[in-house]
Order: sequence, then structure tokens, then C-alpha cells
Amino acid sequence: MAQLGTHLDRPIVGATPAARGRRAWTRALDDSRFFPSLLLVPILIFFVVWNVVPLLWLVGVSFYRYKVTSSREPSFVGWENFAEIFQSTEIWRTLGRTLTFMLLSVGLATILGVLLGLLFWGSQRMPGRRLALTLLFTPMVLPPVAVGTFFRLIYEPNFGVVNYYAQQIVGRRFDFLGDKDLAFFATVAVDVWMWTPFMILMTLAALGSVPKAELEAAEVDRLPWLQRLRYIVLPHGKFILMLGILLRTIDAFKTTDLPYLMTNGGPGNQTELVGLSLYRTGFEAFQMGDASSLAVVTLLVAIAFTSVYLYVLNYRAARVEMR
Amino acid sequence: MNETSWRQHLYHGLLWLIALLFFMPVLWIFLAAFKAEGLLVSWPPRWFFTPTLDNLRDVFARPGFWSYLAMSFVLSIGAVVIALVVSFLAAYSFSRYKPTGTNFIMFLLLSVRMVPATAVVVPVFLMYSAFGWSKTFHGMLLFYAMFAIPFSLWILKGFLDGVSERYDETALVNGGSRLHVIFRVVLPQVKPGLVAAFIFNIIFVWNEFLFNYLLGGKGTTMIPVLLATGVNEGGSVDWTFIASLSFIYMLPPILAIFLFQKYLLVGMTFGTVRGEV
Repeated sequence: MAQLGTHLDRPIVGATPAARGRRAWTRALDDSRFFPSLLLVPILIFFVVWNVVPLLWLVGVSFYRYKVTSSREPSFVGWENFAEIFQSTEIWRTLGRTLTFMLLSVGLATILGVLLGLLFWGSQRMPGRRLALTLLFTPMVLPPVAVGTFFRLIYEPNFGVVNYYAQQIVGRRFDFLGDKDLAFFATVAVDVWMWTPFMILMTLAALGSVPKAELEAAEVDRLPWLQRLRYIVLPHGKFILMLGILLRTIDAFKTTDLPYLMTNGGPGNQTELVGLSLYRTGFEAFQMGDASSLAVVTLLVAIAFTSVYLYVLNYRAARVEMR
Repeated sequence: MNETSWRQHLYHGLLWLIALLFFMPVLWIFLAAFKAEGLLVSWPPRWFFTPTLDNLRDVFARPGFWSYLAMSFVLSIGAVVIALVVSFLAAYSFSRYKPTGTNFIMFLLLSVRMVPATAVVVPVFLMYSAFGWSKTFHGMLLFYAMFAIPFSLWILKGFLDGVSERYDETALVNGGSRLHVIFRVVLPQVKPGLVAAFIFNIIFVWNEFLFNYLLGGKGTTMIPVLLATGVNEGGSVDWTFIASLSFIYMLPPILAIFLFQKYLLVGMTFGTVRGEV
């Protein structure tokens, strides 16, 4: 509050002309009806130039047949690109693959994250906790590009460390990223490794939102563990956990860098997720029209996800306010 | 008493073991960064060896390494600073005046951030090509600023909503100007939000690859592009180089979550979930 006091100390009447001038200027600014909008000018410029214009561009191009490298003028084809998306078995397979990837990756990360989060619940007095948590949470802040590259080294069929232990335990080596039955699961495994820490973090946050008093009451009543989770932890913690799962789902849908670096979508297209498919259509085949229409579809999916996320968020806010 | 402390030790030991297990792949790369060429590809893999600094020296001597690294710093810090200024002003306006369309703009900004990077890059690539902005420094910088704005806005709006409007009113009644209110009264109270937005958006830009690869040029290349081209350009991969470069590049984010651990939750959920772990 110290800053507020300084105003009372400084009499307005006795101010120097220069100060009075400045004061008049800021007063005019304060009284202006436009002040709230003035604060919004920078973000609106960014919003229009980097969101609205590209969005219109995207929607526009999605109605054209437009190959960047060809000298042919882009030609208007109407809904044809979208019709192609719906008819293309390849794209449906990619979307299905992406969905499988999301379900597997988010599902496994959630199960592991909740279990480990519960285990870490009582870790407040653990020695070196800060360092331990840093090591634990490291995977989720690493550049996906670096993760993709170094897992290629770890999975390497000839001298990779995973293969050494596979040889010791199972008695044979695997070409994890080159085998068409394994590559997909090897990619999922890396994603799960990367994002389980995030689910642990969200579980800890969810557990932290449970009121202490209710837990103490349960302790006094000697409520069995399973019932404590069911009747006390779950009702309070489920929102944050839900937000975590949703965020993870959105992020899994976006996954592009990881398979690009690990397998480049291969072998065949076993690990080609929708993000990577877009990259190939737009920047390897240079079919900007096709890429744009697919991008419009993914944009709609992302908007749907975001709506669900915000719905849960608002629902939670309303519930918290009611209490 | 003695028995409980014994169980306590066991429990803490188990937690440490789990933390180390998650760190193991990263540790493997850190070790690889200090292995001589032959050791890196040795069979069986070696956990213990005489470390060498040759790999790091080699990375430092590579043409372009220092300029790429500098570009990583300049672009991530510069873009996030711009984003924070823009989002703070907007967040104040959204939080206090609630103009029509607030929720819609916040929603749209967030949605665009939730789209796969490749879908965003398609129209921006076309736009940049048409305007002649691709491969330029300001094109890259402002793009990354836009990349950082949605999360910054959400974090800061969340924190500003938590600062009571009474502060604004008191300051105004006492003769403070609006600008005084914004920068001297409200700003200091949302410092945690600013720190969280600053650190985590820097990490997100720092880790970003595709935009830099597709929109950037020689003068704006960051390290991830160097990593990716080092692996994907066919031929045999120079693993000692990749390992030591990854090691150098992964250190700052790890250091950041060690130093700013209490902001981790806010940063990773763009301010929608508050609390400490």
C-alpha cells in the first residue's frame, strides 16, 4: 500500500507547471472513453495480422487446387478438397491412427500419473525433494526434437542401450523404429514417458485441492483408504484431474515433432499422425490446397477440444463459487 | 518410533528411485555427451568410463553453433517480452472493463494455440511468402510473440481477476492516474503470473522446431533445426555431436524447472490451475 500513500503527500494544487501538464495529459487519458480499447490495440493488431488474416487465407486456399512448385495458376475447385478428405481412406486411416495414439498415450500416462501422483502425495518431507521433482518433471520440458533424436540413439538396433537389455532379458534385439509392428508402440512409449510426469503434476495439484479438514476427519474416523479416495479425494480432485486429461488429449492431438524426428512417419506410414500428414502434404508434396482443407478440419477439432476444456473449467469455477 | 522412521526412509528411497528412473534416458544422453566416439557405439553399452570434453569442444567449434544458440536466446526472450507487454495491457482491459467479445477473443486465441503446428504453419507460410516476411528476423520474432500471447494472456488474466478492483478504486480516488494504477498498483501484485508466463513461454519457444524450420531462414535458425537436420539428412548420424548438442540445449529448461518449481503448475496449465506441488 506504500505506493498509494505517495499521492496524498503530493498536493495537486502546488504542483509545478510541468507536473500539472503531465497530470492533465494522464487525466485526459483516464477520462477518455477509448482508454479500455487503447489497451487492446496491440493485441488486436497481433490478432488480426497473425490469426484472422491467416485464417481467412487458410479457408480461401482450401477451396483451390494449389501446388506451390507448379507454374499452373491455382484453380477454384469448391468443396472438392473437402470431399477428397472424406473419401480418402488414407486420411481416415491417419485420423484413426491419431485417435489410437491419443487414447493409448493419454490413457497410459493418466493411469501411471495418477498412481505415481498418489505415491508422491506424502512426499513433503522427503530429503532433496526439489531436486528429485526436477528430475521427475524433466521429460515434459525437454524439446520434442531433442527427445526424438536421442530416443533414436537409445532404440538403435545395433548398439542401442534398450536393445542391450532386450538381448539380456529376451535373448534377441529389436529394430524398434524400423519394424512395422513395433514402431507405433515405441513412439507411444516415448510419449508416455514424456507426459506421465505432467499427469503426476496434475494429480498432485488435484490432491492439493482436497480440503485438509475433511482428510483429518477421515483420519479420525479411521475411514479405509479406498473409501477415503472414493468419498473425499475424488469429489474434490476430479476437476483438476479432468483438466489435466483434457490438456493432455489436446497436446497428444498436436504431436508432430516426435514422430517426425523418430521415424519420419515410417516404416510405411505406421507412425504418421495427422500433424505429420499435414506436413507431408504441404511441404513435401507442396499441395497447399489439400493441406489447407485438412488444416481446416484439424482447426475445427481443436476448437471442439478447447470448448470442452473451457466448459469443464467454467463448471469447476461455478462449483467453487457456490461453496 | 524407530520403525516408522525406517519405513519413512524406505518410502523416500522409493520416490527417489522413481524420479531417477524417469530421468534415466536423459542421463544416458548426458553420459553420451562425455563419451569418446568409439565408446558411444560400444556393445555392451558402458555406464562407467573416462569422460572426455572433446565432444563439447567440437560442438563449440562447429560453424554456426554460437549464432544459432544466440538466436535461440534472442528469439525466445525477445518474443516473450513483447508477448508479455501486449498481453498484460490486454489482460488488464479484459479483466477490468470486460468489453464485449472478451470471452470470444480469449477462446479463439487459445483454440489457435491448440491446433497442430503444421496446420498453423500452412496459412502463415503462404502469408509470409506473399508479404516477403519469411526468412526475416522480424517475421520470426513477431510470429513467436504471437505464439506466446495466448498462454500469457490466460495466465495474466487469471491473476488480474484475482486482484480486487478495490485497489484500483482506492488508487484512483487518491488521485492516481490509470497508468499509475496499472503499472504501480496492479502490476506488482501479479508478479507470480508474470514470472510463470515469462519462464514457461520462453521454454515453449526455446523448444519449438517446426515454425523455425519452415518460416525461418539462415539468419534466424535456432538449435532444434540444427539437431533435426543433423539426424534427418541421410547418411550416417554423427551421434557424439547430436548427444553433446542435446545436452547443452536441454540444460536451460531443466535448470528453469529447478529454480522456478513453484510456478511449474501455473506455467504448464496456462494459469487455469493454481496451487503448489
